[in-house]
Amino acid sequence: MSDKTGKVIGFCCNYTTQVTQEPLKEAGILPDQVEFKRLSCTGKLEVSSLLAAFSRDGADAVFVAGCPEEECHNFSGSRRASKRVKYAKEILSELGIEPERIEMFFVPRQETEPVVKAAKEMLYRLEKLGPIVKEQVDNERDSDDSGKAA
Amino acid sequence: MIIAERKPMPEIMEMISGVKKLLVLGCRGCVAVCSAGGDKEVNIMVEAIMLGRRLKGKPIEIDQDVLVRQCDPEYLEPLKEKVKDYDAILSMACGVGVNFLAENYPDTVVLPALNTTFYGANLSSGEWKEMCAGCGACILHLTGGLCPVARCAKHLSNGPCGGSVNGRCEVDPNTPCVWQLIYDRLNKLNLSENMRKIMPIRDWTPSGEGGPRRRVREDLLP
Repeated sequence: MSDKTGKVIGFCCNYTTQVTQEPLKEAGILPDQVEFKRLSCTGKLEVSSLLAAFSRDGADAVFVAGCPEEECHNFSGSRRASKRVKYAKEILSELGIEPERIEMFFVPRQETEPVVKAAKEMLYRLEKLGPIVKEQVDNERDSDDSGKAA
Repeated sequence: MIIAERKPMPEIMEMISGVKKLLVLGCRGCVAVCSAGGDKEVNIMVEAIMLGRRLKGKPIEIDQDVLVRQCDPEYLEPLKEKVKDYDAILSMACGVGVNFLAENYPDTVVLPALNTTFYGANLSSGEWKEMCAGCGACILHLTGGLCPVARCAKHLSNGPCGGSVNGRCEVDPNTPCVWQLIYDRLNKLNLSENMRKIMPIRDWTPSGEGGPRRRVREDLLP
């Protein structure tokens, strides 16, 4: 998979992956264009943080890996995260972005492999979807610049 | 409280299509409680707009702020110096806040991010229900505290319309007939006599039919 596939940002809680991304990349297990952001609990994630991964951090796909729904270390953290992912999908759709660019994965605790698998699933999706910012024709951009606020 | 909901993003993106510098302004009043225009929702809106603009290859400069309320002059005052720095303010307050901002800052474009919908109660997290129409002539003392103006699809004053079936409204079977609820409740409270009282033809003037309403209390004026 080339870097041109796009960038994937994955939010993982302390309990879903025990290994940081560097050794996984050095071992060739995790592709370079995947970035992990570790949190104390995925329930801490806000919708704005999920969107910021796209808007500010340049992600083309985002995933959240949280504890199994009924076995969250913090009781309802991963369930909350999944609801926020769902709302983020709605906003992406409204903006004309494929909602499958963001996904929630409930993964077994203290295992790294399922998180890597989630990352690869998102890369697989990106191969089909391409980068989030499509090539834009110049006159299309110009037509959006027509005036001030309506 | 006043219930509102976010407008669809395409509508918002269209409104701000020519804006290069935007202030997204939230409100910590009703719209924060109903999760439409408080701090969290402002954060989401900013990121959504940034993302929408990233797609179009048209970056935008956005500042954000959240006021205690957008419907009181003292909270708008601090904006005085900075509003001129922006092409527009995207207000995440209810319609009152948008109007008040527009009146106070006549040279600034003020845009609504929300649709203001009704006066309602919070049934549970994420669920709100209309319970008052702000009609200006409250009759709740006669109806067991349940409002037929707000909660009857036909705003009837004197009993059910005859279309309700098994206590459900004929307009929407998911909605209980408020007159059935009133009847049951008055019976339970031994106030069923109220059902026999005929309410006069309603004067809708206090509800706003006579133009925008205004209230003045001399004892509170400066």
